Amino acid sequence: MKRYTTYSLPALALLGLVLGGCQPDLDDTRPATDAGSLNFNSYVAVGNSLTAGYSDGGLYNEAQATSYPALLAQQFAKTSKGPASFVQPSFATTQADGSGYIKLQIVNGAASPVPPSAANNYLDEKVAFTTPAVNLPGGRQLAPYAGTTQPDNLGIPGISVLSSLSALTGGLVPYGTLNPFYERLLTTAEKSTKDYVTYIGQKTPTFFTCWMGNNDVLAYATNGGVVENIAPGVPNPFGDLTDTTRFGIGYRAILRTISRNGTVQGVAANIPNVTSVPYFNTVTVAAVAAAFKAQNAASPGVFIATGPTTAPVVRLATSADYLTLTAQAYIAATGAGSLPTNPLPSKYVLDATEAAAVVNRTTQLNNIIAKTARQNKVPLADMNTFFTGIAQQGVVTNAVNNTATFASGNLFSLDGVHPTPRGYAVVANEFIRVINANYGSKIPNVAPNDYRGVLFP
Amino acid sequence: MVIKKLLLTGGALLLGASAASASGFQVNLGGQKNNGMGGVGVALSLDQAAMFYNPGALAMVRDNGVQVGVNFAMPRNSFIAESGGAQSQLRNKMVTPVNFYAAFGPKEGKWKIGIGANTPYGSELHYANDWQGRYSLTDINLRSVFAQLTASYAITPQLSVGAGLVMLAYGDVDLQRDVPLSAQNGAPTPHVTLSGKAKQTFGYNAGILFKPSDKLSVGVSYRSQVDAKIENGDVRLRDVIASTGGNFTATNFNATLPLPATASAGVAVMPNEKLTVSLEANLVYWSEYRTLDFTFSGNNGYGDRPAAGSTPAVAGTPGLLGGNTISSSKRFYQNALAFRLGGQYKVTEGLTVRAGGFFDQAAVKDGYVTPETPDADRIGLSAGASYEFAKRFGIDVSFLYEDFLKRSQSQSDLLNNGTTDRVAGTYKTTIAVPGVGLYVKF
Repeated sequence: MKRYTTYSLPALALLGLVLGGCQPDLDDTRPATDAGSLNFNSYVAVGNSLTAGYSDGGLYNEAQATSYPALLAQQFAKTSKGPASFVQPSFATTQADGSGYIKLQIVNGAASPVPPSAANNYLDEKVAFTTPAVNLPGGRQLAPYAGTTQPDNLGIPGISVLSSLSALTGGLVPYGTLNPFYERLLTTAEKSTKDYVTYIGQKTPTFFTCWMGNNDVLAYATNGGVVENIAPGVPNPFGDLTDTTRFGIGYRAILRTISRNGTVQGVAANIPNVTSVPYFNTVTVAAVAAAFKAQNAASPGVFIATGPTTAPVVRLATSADYLTLTAQAYIAATGAGSLPTNPLPSKYVLDATEAAAVVNRTTQLNNIIAKTARQNKVPLADMNTFFTGIAQQGVVTNAVNNTATFASGNLFSLDGVHPTPRGYAVVANEFIRVINANYGSKIPNVAPNDYRGVLFP
Repeated sequence: MVIKKLLLTGGALLLGASAASASGFQVNLGGQKNNGMGGVGVALSLDQAAMFYNPGALAMVRDNGVQVGVNFAMPRNSFIAESGGAQSQLRNKMVTPVNFYAAFGPKEGKWKIGIGANTPYGSELHYANDWQGRYSLTDINLRSVFAQLTASYAITPQLSVGAGLVMLAYGDVDLQRDVPLSAQNGAPTPHVTLSGKAKQTFGYNAGILFKPSDKLSVGVSYRSQVDAKIENGDVRLRDVIASTGGNFTATNFNATLPLPATASAGVAVMPNEKLTVSLEANLVYWSEYRTLDFTFSGNNGYGDRPAAGSTPAVAGTPGLLGGNTISSSKRFYQNALAFRLGGQYKVTEGLTVRAGGFFDQAAVKDGYVTPETPDADRIGLSAGASYEFAKRFGIDVSFLYEDFLKRSQSQSDLLNNGTTDRVAGTYKTTIAVPGVGLYVKF
């Protein structure tokens, strides 16, 4: 009988190890990844800074690597229907920080956003500006893209529908000579002749995303409703709200071109409400008024200049006026806004009238986008509704509360307009949701927490 | 004095941690013989472990004796997040719940007195370093050692009662998680550890065993709730990002964790001298566990800034963790039932074999599952054997395998319940628990 125990003990221990060593496998729980009828062999992304992966007020390799098209391509590849590679117009590794970008630095003990200078190695950034400096109307010239073939991510920071089609401006303002992000992708001959619609028409996509139109309202809004001159006496031709007629012509040209008249499958996204981004909600009238009152108990509030810059109207700001993120540094440096004789200039204020004009035009342009998408049988990613939801409730990703709060909210980068890598991951998931819902595909989501929010010093 | 000495010895032995092997973070590994029989015990008087399962049964245990048992729990857990990402697994670690009992009484006497110690609650899980729930929890080690002093009296040869004083002799908790902030220059993710020891507190247990014939016994028992109260536990912070230090000033925390009451009722039949079969039900009063609340205090000075230029010095706000002085997380557990069936057969004078199984209901409701207790309805199967030498010494072996049903919760469940401080996805857990015990009777 003794042998029972002699043998059973090690036998039980062995059984324990065998069963205990069995790792439960959950891979069958996951819905099978499936491209459905879609083919991602050649995925092409059309758009502006949001598509380029612009973040923290700049385009740089690290942010570009987590652009939503790059994340989509990565997820598309999991369906085994490609793309084998998704090419983005990166900067050389020795110039990896591209146009430079805003960093949080500890200034007087507190974290403050510090904008880049064009100087190399400032903020430890390896910028890609050409030397000697060549200044284009849209900023300093960048080193040309070294790739020999046209990239797949065609996002151009700053581009609008209006600036995409040269006919809309009578061919008088060749965009390839204005915008350094576009200029660096073109050959010398193309710069003055090739508009964006022609440029995207060179691709033969099997699937595309198109997110255009933001800059048709954003340039005006972020500049406080002021159209600045790009040269003495020459107003920025793309600095105003784009009119619906020219927007319609331009948008139809873009979507027809990239969808090959509705024969290529893809997704079109519309324009978020720009007044919901941290750029317009971080520096509030109430907070600035409180700061003035702390210094001078008799301070009646914040004086702002509104209306045309030539004949501004000075009045006290109300809670319906938005102050821009850039107003903070300006007020700190100049004390503007505390006295009627020194009002906060119009470019730092999107006043109630201007804000209403922006929201109204956004709605009109979004109607054009929706209609054009329908006509080309392209499903719509309603980023306007999606961003409004984020602004109101934030989005929780695996126990992390992400909100539209500047810097600490994780979603918006230090320019207050463009997402962080975490924000781009959330955007990519919204695209995936729309693609799966409309094409019956089963593309897996990105795990947003694998991507960073704002980097703190 | 002997009792105190034994208690201390027992306490030292029992510091081994435990893995939740019953609903919630309860561990039902009270006695090695019982472990082999699906955890039945309330209607049985097998050995000195009766004082844990039913103090009323202790007087019916024929011999005086001392026994010690150790279990080797090997949990295996897999998780995939709804948000995507790879399947993650635990950094596997074996945990060893232990039990010890000694009981004495006059030979053929009507009463018996016993002391015991075991680990009825605990959980130890170490998730993979980069798992999707790391901002909710990365590690938990919850340990408790209970000591009990029990008296049992046989009113008649058919009916005995018992009661005891139960003491949370030692308890500690160690909870760790990552902080969802990103640092510049690839600096590591900040990490928080909350660790503290529970205050010693008392509870009780009581039970009745009724044995109308040699072939039948019926038992009921009740073990009271004990609260593990942690005062001035330590908040330890690693890799806090300098510019965010003002939100991480806490050095201490207070928290209370209920270790709930359990009521049991069962019946055992002994159709002949060799065979015993028992069926029982347990009800664990988990609904007491409503929220897990932390209050933070102290000041580590991370929020203080010296004067710089025209900016005056700033004194940080004390007692903040992630910008809050308190945190409250919904648990809303439900009372959980377990049904157990087990039996033993005496093959020879020396050898007894056992088998059993149970169904244990989850204490955690749908949409409330947290990484610290990836609870689910579960099925357990067990087997065991004893061999006795010279009617005096014996060895018990047991093996238990628990299979948790796969448990999923979606992000919309979490949003609906206001429980977004945990992670959406699917958990699957199994536990294998071999165990061995030694006893001496006199």
